Amino acid sequence: MAKIERAQKLFLKALKEKFEGDVQDTKTSFYNFDGVNQSPRKREFMAASKKVELRRGISMYDPNRCHLGGLPMGQRQLMTYEVSGTGTFVEGDDLHFVNNPAMQQMWDDIRRTIIVSMDLAHNTLQKRLGKEITPETINEYLHILNHAMPGAAVVQEHMVETHPSVVDDCYCKVFTGDAELSDQLEKQFVLDIDKLFPAKQAEQLREAVGKSLWQAIHIPTIVSRTCDGGTTSRWSAMQIGMSFITAYRMCAGEAAVADLSYAAKHAGVIQMGSHLPARRARGPNEPGGILFGHFGDMIQANRKYPNDPAKASLEVVGAGTMLFDQIWLGSYMSGGVGFTQYATAAYTDNILDEFTYYGMDYLKDKYKIDYKAVDPAQKVKPTQDIVNDIATEVTLNAMEQYEQFPTMMEDHFGGSQRAGVMAAASGLSTAIATANSNAGLNGWYLSMLMHKEGWSRLGFFGYDLQDQCGSANSLSVRPDEGCIGEFRGPNYPNYAMNVGHQGEYAAIVASSHYTRNDGFCISPLIKITFADPSLVFDFSEPRKEFAKGAIREFVPAGERSLLMPAR
Amino acid sequence: MAYTPQYGPGKSIVAENRRKQMNPGVKLEKIRDVTDEEIVLIMGHRAPGQAYPTAHPPLAEQGEPDCPIRKIVSPTEGAKAGDRVRYIQFADSMFNAPSQPYQRTYVEMYRYRGIDPGTLSGRQIVESRERDLEKIASDLINTNLFDPARVGIRGATVHGHSLRLAEDGMQFDMLQRCVLDGGVVKYVKDQIGVPLDKKVPVGKPMDEAWLKANTTMFHSLVGTAFRDDPEYVEYVQTIHSKRTKYGFMPVE
Repeated sequence: MAKIERAQKLFLKALKEKFEGDVQDTKTSFYNFDGVNQSPRKREFMAASKKVELRRGISMYDPNRCHLGGLPMGQRQLMTYEVSGTGTFVEGDDLHFVNNPAMQQMWDDIRRTIIVSMDLAHNTLQKRLGKEITPETINEYLHILNHAMPGAAVVQEHMVETHPSVVDDCYCKVFTGDAELSDQLEKQFVLDIDKLFPAKQAEQLREAVGKSLWQAIHIPTIVSRTCDGGTTSRWSAMQIGMSFITAYRMCAGEAAVADLSYAAKHAGVIQMGSHLPARRARGPNEPGGILFGHFGDMIQANRKYPNDPAKASLEVVGAGTMLFDQIWLGSYMSGGVGFTQYATAAYTDNILDEFTYYGMDYLKDKYKIDYKAVDPAQKVKPTQDIVNDIATEVTLNAMEQYEQFPTMMEDHFGGSQRAGVMAAASGLSTAIATANSNAGLNGWYLSMLMHKEGWSRLGFFGYDLQDQCGSANSLSVRPDEGCIGEFRGPNYPNYAMNVGHQGEYAAIVASSHYTRNDGFCISPLIKITFADPSLVFDFSEPRKEFAKGAIREFVPAGERSLLMPAR
Repeated sequence: MAYTPQYGPGKSIVAENRRKQMNPGVKLEKIRDVTDEEIVLIMGHRAPGQAYPTAHPPLAEQGEPDCPIRKIVSPTEGAKAGDRVRYIQFADSMFNAPSQPYQRTYVEMYRYRGIDPGTLSGRQIVESRERDLEKIASDLINTNLFDPARVGIRGATVHGHSLRLAEDGMQFDMLQRCVLDGGVVKYVKDQIGVPLDKKVPVGKPMDEAWLKANTTMFHSLVGTAFRDDPEYVEYVQTIHSKRTKYGFMPVE
């Protein structure tokens, strides 16, 4: 380990925008900011609350009375935030998922997605019923399915149906590694792997999918919101069954229909998240069941930025901390508003970005690795010494940056924020250097120990739980004690309860593949499905999408205003 | 073989300070005289002079079961009397406060009995029987573990450890429980933020040179960089490597 110089500090612009005066000063003035009134968003909240109270006759948002018995927050400067990598400054409040429709839509788009094999159904139709399957019949089936999936009838008389304008985000496309078949299907229904992915990634994906044909289905946002992730496969299977009946003129009650249903509900289904154990009380397609490797496949930044695995991984951090910290742990499993502060630290003000790119420069300086080469031959062997060296240097640099820029320490005012960010930079740098997800996780845990010893503090109690014993399980793969990173997830035993980790872990896992220009982490099917430009949320630019949501420019699905009187 | 604690690695002044604070064989340096009554006021658990509220009858009265552990572990005075368990919590500025969260916990574990410390990034709490706590609190406030300006006694709303300092050198506290008044730091609210009837002085802030010489936190801008203590860094790497190795395959 040996410190290197980096002239460009990616966080400086944000610090200068956020804080008055010299960003390296150690002193400032407090208690003179007019409390909560200094924030335009808080003022908006207070004005809005007054209107609500008049309408409903029940008191609501009143920080001047209710916060600390009459002492509102804002005795220090309430900061804005730059969403990293976007140049967009936003109010912190607008990064709470309740106030940010883009964040909601990202999760909606995952939860309402299901991938279903067509091969099993085609086998049933051909071998059991003697039906002919041709590109023409598949096209016809897809027309019918795209009529039925949003909530329309195809077989029955006198049925209620859904209004197309409130389910306009619902559709099905298909993909295959068979270029000949792909060419014969209507373009509107096809996810064209060669067009969507860089050549090397496309080649891997086509080979992995082979001749099988898959349906990428997105049920209506409004349905999965009203029900839950477990609904997705049921809703889609019902409409798939009805569409097959219509397209292939089957008897609605014949036993072969059960085969189609079984394929669509169980045998040929890829859920986005596994069914969780009963104590979590969640079905499939809920955040706690998403493997980190699958999440790395959902996020598409490596498709758009194949030669910058650091950038691609930082997008996973942003998306992952939002989903796993803000929505999963922060709301499903806990509640309230506190978790947002943990998560946003990892994707605002370019702080993690700076620490990570310092790691990239260090790799070049010390190990002669050009991280942009994304070449498996250019990686270093994941020995303990090398992991220790990279993680130590990246952590020490990060600590020194916080020390040298007291406003940055003030920006990340909580130890958990700093711990997550420093360990993420260490883990990403290590994983990008070695192309090994567990080496990356091991770098994370060394960073945690280094941080704790250097500053005699770490994060909240949860950091005691997993980060001080993480070294011991990061290279273990025995059941209940460990797993390779790709197959760990938010419900992995040691990870299940702690904010500030899961999104970063997902990114570390993903980065070990992005650095090799792999077509996918563990699922080619999920990778291809989320490359779809028709999705409401753009999974190749999650941080930009969050910024759009924060400045109120993102248009989500699930619109209901058509069905209600205007306010 | 008798175990001789080493109290941690490192050749820097920070490492040395850590060892001195932890080692019960080294007497903590008494620096100020905040009285027992004043400490009771700051903690806010009972009024000065008020009898200690109890959670159970004195052990001598309630009849203890025949238990081998009880024969080995003698109760503290507070436990004997049946005192409630109460707390004191500190927020230590990252600008060279003399003690820091984990360091506090280690110090307390080496020096005191019957305690329950909790360690976070911006605060450290220690709980114990009330009369025991008051004795411990007196040490924690009157010695070189404390600085009136850089250490806050805060039950809730502890925000401040990582912020820049106020222009007068005080650590930020949105409740302003203590103020710098005529060169002396005085508590005007108790640790939970309830206004006090009188100001409670806790002494003059220590100067920058003393803070730098006595802190237990590495800091490259205002103190000693962690990088400048390679023995310490190598020690952490060694611990991590061994844990990794034996987690992977717990055999030689």
